[in-house]
Amino acid sequence: MTDLAANAPAGGRASRSLLVPSARMRRRNSAERRFRSYGLIAIVVSLLSLAVMLSTIFRDGASSFWQARLEFPVTLDAAVLDPKGNADPAEMAKQTTVTYGKLLDQSFAAILAAGGIDASGLTDKEIGAMVSKAAPAQIRDRVLADPSLLGQTITVDVLAAGRIDGYLKGRVTRETAARDRNVSPAQLDLADRLVGAGLLAERWNWDFITGPDASDTRPESAGLGVALIGSVYMMLLVLVMCVPVGVAASIYLEEFAPKNGWTDLIEVNIANLAAVPSIVFGILGLAVFINFLQLPQSSSLVGALVISLMTLPTIIIATRSAVRAVPPSVRDAALGIGASKMQAVFHHVLPLAMPGILTGTILGLATALGETAPLLLIGMVAFVTNYPDAPPEGFLDPATALPVQVYNWASRSDPAFIERSNGAIIVLLVFLLAMNVSAILLRRKFERRW
Amino acid sequence: MNMNDMRSVERIVNSHAAKIAAQNVQVHYGASQAIRDVSIDILDRTVTAFIGPSGCGKSTFLRCLNRMNDTIPTCRIEGLIRLDGEDIYDRRVDPVTLRAKVGMVFQKPNPFPKSIYDNVAYGPRIHGLVQGKAELDEVVEQSLRKAALWNEVKDRLSAPGTGLSGGQQQRLCIARAVATGPEVLLMDEPCSALDPIATAQVEELIDELRANFSVVIVTHSMQQAARVSQKTAFFHLGNLVEYGDTAQIFTTPQDSRTESYITGRIG
Repeated sequence: MTDLAANAPAGGRASRSLLVPSARMRRRNSAERRFRSYGLIAIVVSLLSLAVMLSTIFRDGASSFWQARLEFPVTLDAAVLDPKGNADPAEMAKQTTVTYGKLLDQSFAAILAAGGIDASGLTDKEIGAMVSKAAPAQIRDRVLADPSLLGQTITVDVLAAGRIDGYLKGRVTRETAARDRNVSPAQLDLADRLVGAGLLAERWNWDFITGPDASDTRPESAGLGVALIGSVYMMLLVLVMCVPVGVAASIYLEEFAPKNGWTDLIEVNIANLAAVPSIVFGILGLAVFINFLQLPQSSSLVGALVISLMTLPTIIIATRSAVRAVPPSVRDAALGIGASKMQAVFHHVLPLAMPGILTGTILGLATALGETAPLLLIGMVAFVTNYPDAPPEGFLDPATALPVQVYNWASRSDPAFIERSNGAIIVLLVFLLAMNVSAILLRRKFERRW
Repeated sequence: MNMNDMRSVERIVNSHAAKIAAQNVQVHYGASQAIRDVSIDILDRTVTAFIGPSGCGKSTFLRCLNRMNDTIPTCRIEGLIRLDGEDIYDRRVDPVTLRAKVGMVFQKPNPFPKSIYDNVAYGPRIHGLVQGKAELDEVVEQSLRKAALWNEVKDRLSAPGTGLSGGQQQRLCIARAVATGPEVLLMDEPCSALDPIATAQVEELIDELRANFSVVIVTHSMQQAARVSQKTAFFHLGNLVEYGDTAQIFTTPQDSRTESYITGRIG
């Protein structure tokens, strides 16, 4: 010990035992522990927020995939539906949904009577209100499509009214029903008895995904079909417009363009465009594509053009960094054996940059899929119940998009639309998840293993 | 017309002597000058070594010989470099054609991330040198044989080129360069990333390549220059200080700087 002390350097740094940490070392270690716990806390907080957000959405939205439906036989009285008796579709079309509604109400009341279901205290009108207002049109369409059904007794499967559906899902209670003009506690009692009789049940609801939007009074029949088609059309168009332009621009800028003031200016502008608020692109789209170029408003083409403008900078930036990440030795190798610049880029640089390009592009598209603000300005928030045609004409037809539909439903007054709004978010999230998973899969596929 | 006639005559005269003739070459990177007034004749079927301390311009000059410096925007080259009497910086010369004739092997092995076969076949494919699969197979085999790699890889030609060892990768790069049928092979410190055994293999290979090509090799190892080259050029601070037979340079250097360098006093 004395020897060791004697051998210590002249500077006075006494030799220390390895087993006893110095004060300085303790401070360093505790700083490191602190930093690690900050990181851990940050991750826990973000995971918790995500969990809360997702669980709220699923709690409120998952039920929109099930819908209360009534199933009962209806006798299609030929004398009422086709008074002239000639089964001429044009003549039959003169019978409106009011006629069908009455027929439906009568059949429903008859079933209740036949089944011995107690509907006392309810008027016929109140009993009929248990069935959705969308049901008569559904039966009418079916009959017009197939006039041979006239005179037969068919089993119909129709939506129950939105409030009844809400009762089965627990959204509507007897207390709220007492204060609600649209539904009475007696109707809810009847609903209980109908469930008991097996006439009324919650069933899987494809119409929520495939059906068109519906008006404020019929939340039970509102669906995402038009918004889905609109979003799919827009994504297709954005893909077709953005990817070739974006990839070509980035390759030119990265590999061919001379490095001078102009390319610097372009680079700064691309970075700035990526940061421009999306609503500004909406105003631009309104001014240029709709007012100046006279393209039809609310169409998926205009939506896609606006979103392309927004997505292009993202794709260009992602592609440029992917191209830049390819080691220069690969270019040298290709040029060194006499490949032209273009051959070097297309045979060697681009395949290596492909995973990065694909990931960037798909993530750009995913952002574009969730974009709402610019679409509001170009009229895609409109109430559209007609499906767009098949492409290419369909690109010019009015449509909405998934995020706009979410916004639209969330702003309606009937609480049933809040459920559907959350349901639409679930569909949107599933789409985003699918895109991100495909980004990962494509990346894996294209990534060279060597 | 008259000019062209002159050239063809010149070519015949020079074919046994100088393959590449450089006269008064100056290279600037932006404002700084990397090469000053270099004139050198590189002989056919000879290994020429460029030696000199780091940053002396030997790699820069090597890259002038197949116009790889064209890819550097700030690089400016003056003077005359002729390959078989033709000015390689003539406006009519396509660097792509030039590089097919003057192949290059880089410091770090840089095989393409493709199969061994595709690495070697790439050059012949893009230059359209072969017709049909059989001929291409033949070229690939011959090139790999010339690069002394055939026996090691013949059973796994479809394996990735980047999966080979460092020395094998460098020989693959040599095979790739040889496959386009170049007349000159430029090697920029080809052994600096290799272990002594791989280095010995590559050096042996360079000696064999001399039968068909004019080889120019940049090296930091004077032993290597002495082992593989017949001619040696010593560069210092952008100047070509001395150029002569390797034996003469290493035994009786004319310039004091050369002597200092090879005896380890500057560098």
